[in-house]
Parts: sequence; C-alpha cells; structure tokens
Amino acid sequence: MAPIQFRALLIVSAVLRVVLILYGEWQDAHMEVRYTDIDYIVFSDAASLMASGKSPFQRSTYRYSPLLAFLLLPNSILHRSWGKFIFSAADLLVGLFIRIILKLRGVPEKLSMISVIVWLFNPFTFTIGTRGNCEPIVCALVLWVFICLMNGRVLQAAFWYGLVVHFRIYPIIYALPILVILDPHVFRPGQKPRLQYWNRWQDSPQSSSVTRLTQLLCPWFLLKSALTRERILFSFISAAVFFLFTGLFYHLYGWDFLYEALLYHLTRTDPRHNFSIYFYHIYLQYHRKLSILEKLVSFLPQLVVQVVLVFSFAKDLPFCCLVQTVAFVAFNKVMTAQYFVWFFCLLPLVLAWSNMKLKWKGLSCIALWVGGQLHWLFWGYMLEFKGQNVFLQLWMASIIFLAANTYVLVSLIRDHRFSPVFAQLETTSKDSKKLK
Amino acid sequence: MRSESSMKVETMKARTSQPSATVAFSNSFLLGFVLVFSSAIGFCTLSSAHYSTLQAGTSDSNYDGGGSNISAFSRFNRYIMQSYYEKYENLFDSDFQDFVAQELPFGLCEVLPHDLSFVVRPSILHRNLIGRGSHRHLTSSIRVNIKPEPIYELPTHHCELIIIERLPSGVFADPFELQHLLQRGAYNAIAVFGDANLELPSFLSNRTAVEVHMDIGHNFLLRHDKESNINIELPLHARYPPLDESGYWEVKFGMPDLFMRCSMEGTSQNQSCLYKMPEINGSELGYANLVWKIPSGMKAHAGIVSTLTFVAALISAIAIAATSIFHSGVASGKHLKES
Repeated sequence: MAPIQFRALLIVSAVLRVVLILYGEWQDAHMEVRYTDIDYIVFSDAASLMASGKSPFQRSTYRYSPLLAFLLLPNSILHRSWGKFIFSAADLLVGLFIRIILKLRGVPEKLSMISVIVWLFNPFTFTIGTRGNCEPIVCALVLWVFICLMNGRVLQAAFWYGLVVHFRIYPIIYALPILVILDPHVFRPGQKPRLQYWNRWQDSPQSSSVTRLTQLLCPWFLLKSALTRERILFSFISAAVFFLFTGLFYHLYGWDFLYEALLYHLTRTDPRHNFSIYFYHIYLQYHRKLSILEKLVSFLPQLVVQVVLVFSFAKDLPFCCLVQTVAFVAFNKVMTAQYFVWFFCLLPLVLAWSNMKLKWKGLSCIALWVGGQLHWLFWGYMLEFKGQNVFLQLWMASIIFLAANTYVLVSLIRDHRFSPVFAQLETTSKDSKKLK
Repeated sequence: MRSESSMKVETMKARTSQPSATVAFSNSFLLGFVLVFSSAIGFCTLSSAHYSTLQAGTSDSNYDGGGSNISAFSRFNRYIMQSYYEKYENLFDSDFQDFVAQELPFGLCEVLPHDLSFVVRPSILHRNLIGRGSHRHLTSSIRVNIKPEPIYELPTHHCELIIIERLPSGVFADPFELQHLLQRGAYNAIAVFGDANLELPSFLSNRTAVEVHMDIGHNFLLRHDKESNINIELPLHARYPPLDESGYWEVKFGMPDLFMRCSMEGTSQNQSCLYKMPEINGSELGYANLVWKIPSGMKAHAGIVSTLTFVAALISAIAIAATSIFHSGVASGKHLKES
C-alpha cells in the first residue's frame, strides 16, 4: 500500500513540474516578465560556449563549476529546457532520498509521507527547479552523502562530499558534524553502523554539556579522538576529490575558473540590497577599506553560532545540518531567496522528531518568517521600482527578518527531540558503554 | 513496550542482513557518474571547429542582427565605438570629441558625396526618460530629412543611421537585454561598450556607451523632401551611486551623437562613407535637462547603521547559542510527561 502511495505522489509531483516547465516556456515567449530565472540563461550561454570549445567563463556572471555547464550541454543540442528537466528531476530525487532516509530511521509511514509532501509540494521548491535554478542538484548530493553515511559507506560519502563542496562551497559547514559522527564506537571496519530508530516519546540522553566541554578542552583527548581511521579517511578522500576537480578545471580554464567559481564566493561583498542585515553597512562603507578588526567582528557572530550548534547537536546529523544552514544563511553577508532551498531540503528530515504542533506554534513560525520576507519585499519594491529613498526602512526590514529567523530557529531547537542517527555498537566487555 | 522494542530489534537485524536496494542503486549511480565524468573530461579538452554565432564578453559585447543588407566595412570596424576603444581606455567626453574630430575617416569615399551637412538635417522630436525606479527607458524620436536641393546622380546606395548614446556615469545598459531587443527585429545592430558589470557601484565603474544602427532606407540621399523618423527605446539601469546628503544622486543625460553611414550596393569593393551629423543643441529644445534621480545612501546613517547591525547580530547569536546549550543536554526524563 505504502510504496504505491509514494509512487503516486512522485508521479503527481513530476506532472506538476512538467506542466510548470511548459508554462514557463509559454510565459517567456508571450509576456514581458520572464518565468525563467536569469541564472538559467547564464548557464545556457556558458554551456553553448563550452559546446563550441571555449571557456564557459567567457560568459560574464557565470560563477559556477564547469560541471554545471557540462550538464547543460544538451541545451544547445536538444532543447533549451533540458536543464530545467534535469533540475526538476534532481528535485524529485531529493523527495526520494528524504523518504529513504526516513525509512532507514524507522519513521512510521504517515509521518514520512507528510515530510515528503513538505518538500515536494512546497511552492518555493517546485518553482525553483522549473525556473532553472541549480540548487536541487546540490540538495540531492547532500542528502546522498547522508544516505551513504547511514549505510556505512564512508569512502563513497567522502567522494560525493568532495564533489558537492566543489560545486557549491556552503556544504563545507557540514564537515565538522560529519567528522564528529564518524565515531569509532559507531563505525567499525567491516561492520555496518547501527541506526537508532525513531521514537515517539523521548529524547535520547547524551552526555551533559559540562562533560562534553571538558572533553573538548583537553587537547590530548581531542587529538586522540580526532585521529581515528574513519575521520582521517573521510577528510583525506573528500579533500583529494575537491582538489582534483579544482586542479583539473584550473588546468583547463586557468585563473578565470579559480576566481569566478571559488574566490568570488569567499570574498563577495555585494552592496546592493538583499535580505542580509549587512547590506546597508557594506554600501555605506564601500568607499573605504575595512580594518581587520571590523572584518573579524562581522564574522564573529556567524562563527560562534556555528561552533555552538555543532557542539550541541552534531550527533543528530540532519538536525544539526538544518540549524547550521538556517543560521549560516541568516548571518551571511549576502542573502538571496535561492539560499532558502538549502535548508528546505533538510527540514523534512527533522519534522518527525519535532514536538511543535502546527497549531499554533508551527503556523506562527511560518507566518512570521513569510511575513518578514513580504515586509522586506515591500520596501525593496519601493526602492527599486518606485525610486524612493527607503534605505533605512529596508535595512530595518532586514533586521526584523533576522529576528524572525532567530525566533524560528529558537523554536525549532526548543521543540526538537534530540535523537542521534547512530547507536553505539556493542563493544568488548573491557569498554562497556551500552546505550539503553 | 518491551515486545515492541524487541520487534524493532528483529526488524532492524533483518534489514541489515539483506543487501539493500540503496546499495545496488548507489553502485550503479557511481558507475554511471564515473562514465559521464570521463566523457566530460574528454569533451572539455577537445576543441571543436563549430563556433556559435553568439559572442559574449564583459566589456565589448556586440551582436549582429541577421539579414542586414549592409556589407562589411573593410577599412574600419563595424562599430565606431570599437575604434574609439582601440585607442582610448575609458570614455571621457573630451577624448570622444577629439576622436570624432581627428580619427574618424569622414568622407573617404570616391563616389558618394564628401560632406552631407548641408543636405541632411536631423532634429529631435522628443526625448524622454520613462519609468520611476532603477530601471528606466530612454526614448528618443529623431527625424532626418533631406533638404530640397539638387543633388547629383548617385549610384544605388543604402544608408544607416548610427546613434551613439554616451551614458552618464551611474547608468548602464545590459548587453544581454539589448540582444533580446535585437532578436525582436527592432534594430540593425546594437552594441554596448564600456563597463557592463552590473554589480559594481558607480564610483568603481567606467562609463558606458550604446551604439545603435538603424536602417534609414534605400537610396536615402536621393529622396528629396522626404523625412525619416527613427524611434529608439533603450532600457537602462542605475548603479548604486556614491553617498549623498540629500539621499538622491542626480544623473544628467546629454544629447546623442548622430552619424550616417552610406555604402554602395553591388560594388566589388566594400565602400562606405561615414558622415557626422551636425550637433543638435539640446538646450534650445529643452532636452538638456533630462535628469534621473537615483536613491543613494546617506553618510549620516553610517554610525547608527553599523552599530545597530552588529548589536542585532550579537543579540541573535547569543539567543541561538544560549538555547542550543540549554536544550542540548536535556535529560530524557523531561519529555516522558508528553506520552
């Protein structure tokens, strides 16, 4: 019964996406405002440049890995919507992966269906793939890394992780929780890791914060636990894959690739208006160079939050990655709507462990978050399309949006039932640490 | 409860003993990816002889409309601005005027007349900046007419009007948007020169110039007392301007530079004559004051914005950190009540 329902869900989602892609083609041809995202046109142009043997970086504002242009080569051969079909297929793949992960963790059928629906029928999600945005591919790769880890395939996980960081830099923030989870008590060579099952009622206990903090501050302990077989292997393989791809494309496309695809993202400070609270500050200070102290101060909140989140939740990998991503996007120097997909794909993975009820806590979170965006968009419209100087109001709107993000994040954390992904394997009698 | 948990343990064991579908799937996925990847390497390293007609560049993007009757010009570049940028690095009004006075080969034609300034009269019907925000349209309506004076016999020729808009600093045109216009058949050719990087604020970017070629007609110079009306609409965008106390930065538009290029058809050698149209004095017509007010940041805000931004970031960070630390070590007993 259950697989048939899920299959039906996938088919309906696929049909919806196909209809939207076809509609998008119609709108592009007949209306002034295009349905297709401007980024998609950039990808297509870069792909057609690559098809004629040139560098895709000749296309201005192409700031992605050449792999993306390669994926879109059939755009110039078959049909210009090929890319959109690929991205929508990746979108559906994410839905499938969500279900696989939830099934592996023993979530009951009804809850897992609801979680999948939250992804597949989220209006934000299905428009992003059909408009030609490449984020669904990144989401699919991240979830695949989780599945590999849950199946105990560390080498495979490392390979795909190196690839996804090459593609889009932000998954680097998941490195720390993944390394934490590669615990020698969980991953044994030749043995599959034991997953901990979904439990309706209780939190799984973990060692208290004080214990963990003292362990962290003891260098000897830190060194001993850091240099375990799985952790070294994972770090080495993923770094090797990342540098292999980087080196290969540097050899093919030179400095252009290095700057546009990598360095630009690391040093980007866009003074133009966006959701981030820092945009007005950057615009007002653009004419002068910022001191090291100032740069550090602006980076500090981001760093502190990331470290604290990893320290608190690493063992519950999907939840840790979700809160890390929400915080990362909220505190980033530049924030655009397409970054939201990065955590939307992780949200269905934690819903089954949340005590939050839709009425009224859940609805209030959604309302505040969407409301904060709409408020910002109103002022953005006044600035960009009515030409009024509303910089101060727009900046206040982004502060309010940060407050909304903080509220949602705090609520998520408070109502979450912490449950590690893996259970500790039975050890020898010498080292008796059994989990209840 | 105990039987439930033991059942779970059994099903879990059953699961781990079977080779899961995901493992098989993952292996085939990996193999497929390796194959695709190797072909990608092969493809990228081989260069093919097939070149697309699309030329994209950052500073010098131009695109030729299909079906143009005007033959290629062998002596100089298709675009006047291209010749300008070969000599000068940036667009300054004084440099441009020097260039027009000295560099351009005017009237290097054997058959067509050397100077048309007494014959051809352009005038501007109206000029406007439509729109209210950061994206506006500059519309110009130009009338070119031939004075009713006797003109000697001319071979069959074809003329195009070249309009060069030297955009003020702070405003730019998107080359890809203009390409889109070209594909709709509005102009013969259109090109943007200068800095088209959309993201930089205006004090970090150079001025841009837009060159538009419009077909003015067959045997135009022989058409006495006839008028040709040309309508141009250019989509323009504003950059982020420098900070200003008033909150707005004013950008003023000058008059366009007009040229006419005529070439003969059916000759074995490509010949063309380039004429400069007489300057139109904008102030007489009241078009000298085409002004665009772009919202700009105010220096007075700098202190409070920076302070409050960091305070907000700090408060949020503390709230999130405190919640995480408090809720991560929660004992299992607390939630048992909810069952």
